[in-house]
Amino acid sequence: MASVQISNVKKSYGAVEIMHGVDVPIGDGEFVILVGPSGCGKSTLLRMIAGLEVVTSGDISIDGKRVNDLEPKDRDIAMVFQNYALYPQMTVAQNMGFALEIAGRPKAEIKAEVEKAAEILSLTPLLARKPAQLSGGQRQRVAMGRAIVRNPKVFLFDEPLSNLDAKLRVKMRAEIKALHQRLGSTIVYVTHDQIEAMTMADKIVVMNAGRVEQIGTPLELYDRPANLFVATFMGSPAMNILPAKVTADGISIAGVATVPMPAGLSASGEVSYGLRPDHVTIGGQDAVSADVLVVEPTGSETHITATLGGHEIMIVSRDRVDIAPGSKLPVSLASEHAHLFDAVSGRRL
Amino acid sequence: MSLLSQAFRPVGSNRVDPMLVALWLALVVLALVWITPFIFIVFTALKSSDAVMNTSAFALPTEPDFGNFVSAWQRGNFSTTAFNGVIITFIKVPLGLFISAMAAYALAKVPMRFSKVFLALCVFGTMLPFQVMLAPIFKQVNAFGLINTYPGIILPYLAFGVPYQVFILHGFFAAVPKELSEAARIDGASHFTIFRRIFLPVSLPVLSALLILDFVATWNEFAMALVILQDPKMWTLPLGLMNFQSQFQSNYGELNAAIIMTVLPAAIVYLMFQRYFVAGLTTGAVKE
Ligand SMILES: Nc1ncnc2c1ncn2[C@@H]1O[C@H](COP(=O)(O)OP(=O)(O)OP(=O)(O)O)[C@@H](O)[C@H]1O
Ligand SMILES: [Mg+2]
Repeated sequence: MASVQISNVKKSYGAVEIMHGVDVPIGDGEFVILVGPSGCGKSTLLRMIAGLEVVTSGDISIDGKRVNDLEPKDRDIAMVFQNYALYPQMTVAQNMGFALEIAGRPKAEIKAEVEKAAEILSLTPLLARKPAQLSGGQRQRVAMGRAIVRNPKVFLFDEPLSNLDAKLRVKMRAEIKALHQRLGSTIVYVTHDQIEAMTMADKIVVMNAGRVEQIGTPLELYDRPANLFVATFMGSPAMNILPAKVTADGISIAGVATVPMPAGLSASGEVSYGLRPDHVTIGGQDAVSADVLVVEPTGSETHITATLGGHEIMIVSRDRVDIAPGSKLPVSLASEHAHLFDAVSGRRL
Repeated sequence: MSLLSQAFRPVGSNRVDPMLVALWLALVVLALVWITPFIFIVFTALKSSDAVMNTSAFALPTEPDFGNFVSAWQRGNFSTTAFNGVIITFIKVPLGLFISAMAAYALAKVPMRFSKVFLALCVFGTMLPFQVMLAPIFKQVNAFGLINTYPGIILPYLAFGVPYQVFILHGFFAAVPKELSEAARIDGASHFTIFRRIFLPVSLPVLSALLILDFVATWNEFAMALVILQDPKMWTLPLGLMNFQSQFQSNYGELNAAIIMTVLPAAIVYLMFQRYFVAGLTTGAVKE
């Protein structure tokens, strides 16, 4: 168990800087999830923590000790790769015990450690198999087992569940979460999956184009996104963002609706008005009429895409809405859950 | 009949596939073309001189006679040439493969300056047929005073064999997912351990293919040996065989016995290692 400190880390490939000074504090035993669009540098950051990529500038410390120049094996970390990277010629048991074997630990001890980890992950019946004889989910678990056996200070996961089908992913999500609670270890976890991030993380780091946009608990990011990027990135379907202007009467949205200023907020001039799809209400006294484009019933909810004053908005209703594309729908944009962002900088107001 | 007709049907179908029939025909014809001279050689080697003259070349040897092998062995000085062949081949082939595999691993997986240049040099090396280099090689080996020595022949063999093997193995190693060696590095393995414990087992099919090819080529190599090994005490089997042929041209029985003894080891090595040819040993390393 250990804390990890990432301070002002930059990374360049040749002349191209792809990470522009990243600071992430990670507390002892925390489950931290890195999210962000493809190519934003999540894997690169993780690989720098692992020691697989050179840090161009800045510091990475584990447990207060600067590790920039340490070999991966000396950092006391374990990594689970997206494609699992199991050693094809070795059995499950050999795969899991490889690190201990390299470290020269006695055979009996390796066997005991491997069996213990196999027990935790229900891999015991598979210990004699080769990776080729395992299903995707089992391989995934072997990869985790290999990490657990080493009893590292920090676990690093790079999209470990993205090759699994939806059902297995839900199961493994729960298993990883349970594992974290059981081992109490520090975990840095990269994912594309919103739900994974929201459900598993103690702390989410939202990255974009080589920068950190915001760090916070899942609900903090959801309820108080620091800027337009985080607002639209977190949550699915994404938050509606509409151009608006603060007037004496309140907020005039896209020139078609005027709503009162939400309690506790203040602004003036041009702003962006953000409202999550489930906070758009259908009907209401100050409703304006939107043109329905697409109606998607998901079973539990109805997703409606509509246009309002030339802007596309998404509405999520818990009720079954019986409406056809092309028709008009009265919607109300007033909400105490609305977010206001600076129209120019995108920062939360 | 049922077994035969099975061969002409795609698995799980009961219609005869004309393509399969044609393929089988082609295989049979090809096999005949290859086997015919072989049968001729084996049959002749087992016949006495009388039988060679008085029976058809493809008549079964009615009284198989191993005398040809015994006398060819003595007269052809096989104990010397076979010994030389074993020394040279058994040193050159494993050593060359080992060097090539390590070089290929380094070029493919160890971040290094100029690795592309080295690889380009290797590729260039594969383009030079050594026959055109015989004269310079002779001068070079002579300058080192290595004519008629084992190092004198093994070193040029290595020089011409390694680039080709590096080239093949580099392609293979480069295709092994980088996460595999990264996982091993995190597990604490040194480059040498990664090479030995992960890359060598994964590349067993390629290595055994290269081993067979190289063994046969080295065992049977003629031109360079002819130039460098001039002392009959240093001759390898092909040189001995050529000499034998010019001396005992008309003794077909012994000549063919000599031919069989020359090529047999290569055939045995082939049979020993061909089972490792099976591809797909990497399946399951990573999720496709
Ligand atoms: N070896 C490399 N040489 C040059 N550029 C690289 C290299 N590796 C990564 N990059 C660049 O660095 C940026 C970050 O890559 P990285 O793999 O960290 O993204 P990511 O956030 O993990 O994306 P994804 O979600 O698709 O996995 C990308 O723009 C990528 O093109
Ligand atoms: Mg990535």
